[in-house]
Amino acid sequence: MAPSHAGYAPSLDKLVKSLKGNSLEQSIESLIFLLKRRQVSGDDCAVVTAHILLQVVARSKWSDVDQLLGRIQNAGARLARAAPHEPVIGNIVRRVLGLIRDEASEDRNADDLGSETASEIQSLAPSNPPPAQPQRPPPVPILTRSTTISGGLPVSKSMFNLLSVASAGDSPMTGASTPVSQAQGASVHSLRSEVIDGIEEIMDEIQQADDQIASFADIQIHPGEFILAYQPTKTVERFLVKAASKRKFTVLIASIAPPQPGATEAPYAALRKKLNAHGVTTINLASNGLMAYIPRVNKVIFGAKAVYQNGGLLVDSGACIAAEAAREFLKPVIVLSPIYKFCPEDPSDEAVIGELGNPSTFVSYASGPQVEELEVENTVTDYIPPALVDVYITNLGPQTRHHFASILADHYKVEDIGYSLHDGEV
Amino acid sequence: MSKQAGKGGAGKGKKPTKSGADDKREDALQAVIIADYFQDRFKPFTQDTPRCLLPLVNVPAIEYTLEFLAYNGVQEVYIYCGAHSERIENYIEESSRWRPGSPISPFSNLEFIRVSDATSVGDFLRDLDKRSLISGDFILVHGDLVSNIQLDAILAKHRARREANRDACMTMVLRSIGDCDHRIARARGITPVFFIDPTDSRCLEYEEKHPFQRSKKIPMDSALFKHGSVEARSDLIDCGIDICTPDMLALWSESFDYELPRKNFLHGVLKDWELNGKLIYTEIIDDSYAARASNLQMYDCISKDILERWTIPFVPDSNLMHDQTYRRVKNNSYLENGVLVERNSQVIQSAIGSSTSVQSDSTIRKSVIGRRCKIGKNVKIENSYIFDDTVIGDGTTVIHSIIAGSVVVGENCNIPEGSLISYNVQIDNGVQLPSKPTARISVTTDNGDDVENDASLVGARGKGANYQVLSDDSDSEDEDEDADRDPSAMLNSLVYSLEGLNLSTESLDTFASDSEYNSDEDEEHGGYLHPGDGQRERLSSFTSDDAGKPDAFHSDAVNGLVDALRSDDNDDFDGAKLEFMGLRLANNASDSSMRRAIAIAFVNRASELLEVEHGGLEPTKAAEKALTAKNGAVKFIKEVGVGGEDVKQQSEFALAVQKGLVGVKGLETGRAGTLLAAMLQQLYNLDVLEEDGILAWWVDKRADEGESMTRVKEKCRVLVEWLENADEEDSEEESDDEDEDSD
Repeated sequence: MAPSHAGYAPSLDKLVKSLKGNSLEQSIESLIFLLKRRQVSGDDCAVVTAHILLQVVARSKWSDVDQLLGRIQNAGARLARAAPHEPVIGNIVRRVLGLIRDEASEDRNADDLGSETASEIQSLAPSNPPPAQPQRPPPVPILTRSTTISGGLPVSKSMFNLLSVASAGDSPMTGASTPVSQAQGASVHSLRSEVIDGIEEIMDEIQQADDQIASFADIQIHPGEFILAYQPTKTVERFLVKAASKRKFTVLIASIAPPQPGATEAPYAALRKKLNAHGVTTINLASNGLMAYIPRVNKVIFGAKAVYQNGGLLVDSGACIAAEAAREFLKPVIVLSPIYKFCPEDPSDEAVIGELGNPSTFVSYASGPQVEELEVENTVTDYIPPALVDVYITNLGPQTRHHFASILADHYKVEDIGYSLHDGEV
Repeated sequence: MSKQAGKGGAGKGKKPTKSGADDKREDALQAVIIADYFQDRFKPFTQDTPRCLLPLVNVPAIEYTLEFLAYNGVQEVYIYCGAHSERIENYIEESSRWRPGSPISPFSNLEFIRVSDATSVGDFLRDLDKRSLISGDFILVHGDLVSNIQLDAILAKHRARREANRDACMTMVLRSIGDCDHRIARARGITPVFFIDPTDSRCLEYEEKHPFQRSKKIPMDSALFKHGSVEARSDLIDCGIDICTPDMLALWSESFDYELPRKNFLHGVLKDWELNGKLIYTEIIDDSYAARASNLQMYDCISKDILERWTIPFVPDSNLMHDQTYRRVKNNSYLENGVLVERNSQVIQSAIGSSTSVQSDSTIRKSVIGRRCKIGKNVKIENSYIFDDTVIGDGTTVIHSIIAGSVVVGENCNIPEGSLISYNVQIDNGVQLPSKPTARISVTTDNGDDVENDASLVGARGKGANYQVLSDDSDSEDEDEDADRDPSAMLNSLVYSLEGLNLSTESLDTFASDSEYNSDEDEEHGGYLHPGDGQRERLSSFTSDDAGKPDAFHSDAVNGLVDALRSDDNDDFDGAKLEFMGLRLANNASDSSMRRAIAIAFVNRASELLEVEHGGLEPTKAAEKALTAKNGAVKFIKEVGVGGEDVKQQSEFALAVQKGLVGVKGLETGRAGTLLAAMLQQLYNLDVLEEDGILAWWVDKRADEGESMTRVKEKCRVLVEWLENADEEDSEEESDDEDEDSD
């Protein structure tokens, strides 16, 4: 998105480079406006949020855990408000908040020499680079579909809500506050460095997620299959390339955007080249022809921008058509999404309506009569209801949505789930 | 200051290309915003608010411009303000984001530059050249620009061109809009025509067309045909984004009379290409958005484009201002927090600011409503723009109008298409505003005084009256802040509105009465907001269209010459002559219009000297002083004004002098005649006119058109007879009827 080679336009790289030189406030503001101006979007949001929160921890003034939590919440809420279409930001903020709470309680435990809340410490584990966790055997797609239909969803969802509502009631920060006051100086210092380490681990996790997801590729893709990849994201590309190194199959690449005028190459040329190098056949589909190919296809794969706690997805526009078509022909739909894209909340109204992009993708501003007479709605995101998805492949392995509650509980603190990022103080 | 000196040096040493390029990359990108337009197209809204602070979809227009610059990584910004400069400065000072020195400002430097005596954009740029703040390439934009262009690639191209050839001094960014009918093409008023070399996108010539023009022909320099291939493009929106080198400012300084960046500067520089050798390039984009809210129709058009998201990411729900909370809701509308829309009310493709309430059964379509407004029941608002704190009563209909802030519109009113209602106006219940001519209501006059309420217009309990831009010398052109404006400034401002041609009343009237330079405001103003219909018919009533351009030349030339004649400190006329020739070239003025201008200039000066405050000289003395006080003036008249030894040219000049004298205001005819005689004699004595020329004038029928012409002419009988006697051979046929009444 951000064309950032040597020009003057601000970009993610420049921001990250300038983090050291700029004041904290300046960094936050420049990120806010990068987000608002869509100069940073998609997967970059997660990394850059982590960067900024790291700066908040390292450079803002705070003397106890409550203050630190407040700072993070404040900065996080501002970022999240700047880009309501990027739920990932909120996830990272919640992850960092949870991290701080863990570190704080660890400190307290150390002070008290007690070991009561071992469970809390253990929940830090997922933020470490995770493949240590035992991989579940990948569910056979057919099986998963049957479970999907059985509808275990409402139970887990309502239980989850039950929990989060209950915890939102009591003040979210009390848990960690008191003990720190004792040995402040030292503990603030150690807490700071521990939290910074933790955030760096989150950044590592974000960076490695694609590779980890790709490591499940050969289990999911079988030789001779026809795979429909809808508007392959970077995650999906890596997944397919990894699979191609081990298997021979056929990839159908579908995309909805009309070819840009003046574009010399067919879309996704780089991906196709890589796949062809491994001997994998690729076929480009215009999205309106997609339905016709579905009977021939074995699996539909796409990447998610976010996964909500009900199992619904925020995806690039048009993916919903692919998912519906697959459902119609009983083809499994596989979604690739790293854990950090799992949101402990339900989709917002905006997410369900979808974000609107620039109409000029479909209608040139130069065609006067059309500009005047047509109402062009170019939705750039779709919401896919949970029923259309069969398997979620995360960096922790394939999941079904029945396990979401535990995944979310592993990664987010109930206190932070209740905390809404969208209406803090300005 | 120290910094720029150093950088200036770096700029000089840039000729060895490689190292220079590297230096340049380190430089901060600079931009200059012109936030004053010397126009009154947005009156009465710009009475108290500068144009760039008028809300464009509830965001002051300058925010879009600043955000555009931040979007492209500009580091240093200089803002030139004229009218209401304190308002703009306060606005920036109070903005947490743009305030100079603010920790969160994306700019490392933001400065205001005030030029007290500026009367045109040209003055700003010449001032900028003097200040030498600019060290390298910079972006020149206007304060009403809305754009989402990414300039990086264009900047890189510009840099490459400049390094290849140091004379490549400017790149204009233009948006193509296709050759179909387009709302933005209609809205822009004048149509720029760029002659572009398609191979290297160099701009070769620039002309302007406007809808009042009768002839659809565009003059084309024959030299163009020698130049390989040329494209003439009129399908371009000139969004006023120029990427310039400091050389371009130097060009402005060299041509001290250029005022408009396009019509004067670009046209002139391209015309004189062989002299200055500067190359100007264009960059035509067809995928991003760029436009200037340069008149009310463009305002309308851009607002719609923003609502339809062509300007993404500069759309309401990006919430670019800190306190905004827009969300997109169904029907493609944008509501801020705290907007109350009661049941059965519909908001379609509109934006509504916070704390506004819309009561039941109302429909709001394709409109923008500000904050804290109260919209009553059963109200219908379409294609309209309503600023903050306005109240619209129950049952009222508002169609395609602009209603400014703090306005109260009563119940069951009808605001028809094209109405403009300025700040604080109140309209009583049940008022039907006229649709033809459309209303333009304000509570202040053009001078800023309170108006007398016009009950027939706004109802018995209403406040406000029809707004008129005052004519003649008190014409306050809103962006002009200096109090003692000389007439030339006023004329310049009209030149601007001629250039702009916003199709609103002022310019229509200006056209209709261009010879007198006064614009009465009572004519209808139907062109506004729906230019497609109507104005074609009206065109036919205008005086010949080509009067517009020579008149621009005429007024400038006359003023320049009169000023030169007046000046006490300088006896030399060469400067004025140079200026005059420059103007002539810039405007491509004909010989006859030059002759007319020169004659009128000297006549004006001479008649001025008759007046008491200028010495109350006798006509003979006045004529002598006017013609001979300055060295070179006589020669100038002889060479330029008369233009040759030919009898015909001489008589033409005499005719021009006569006409000029008849046209002088406040000079009674008898005295005018005496002065004419004195001037002709003086010209004869000075060998400018020969007796043949004067005699040819004497018999010219045109000299007898109209009563005052004849009366003025009669006064010259003595002179003519004397001439005839002095040269007896050819006097016979005329003298018989002219002998007796010679006193």
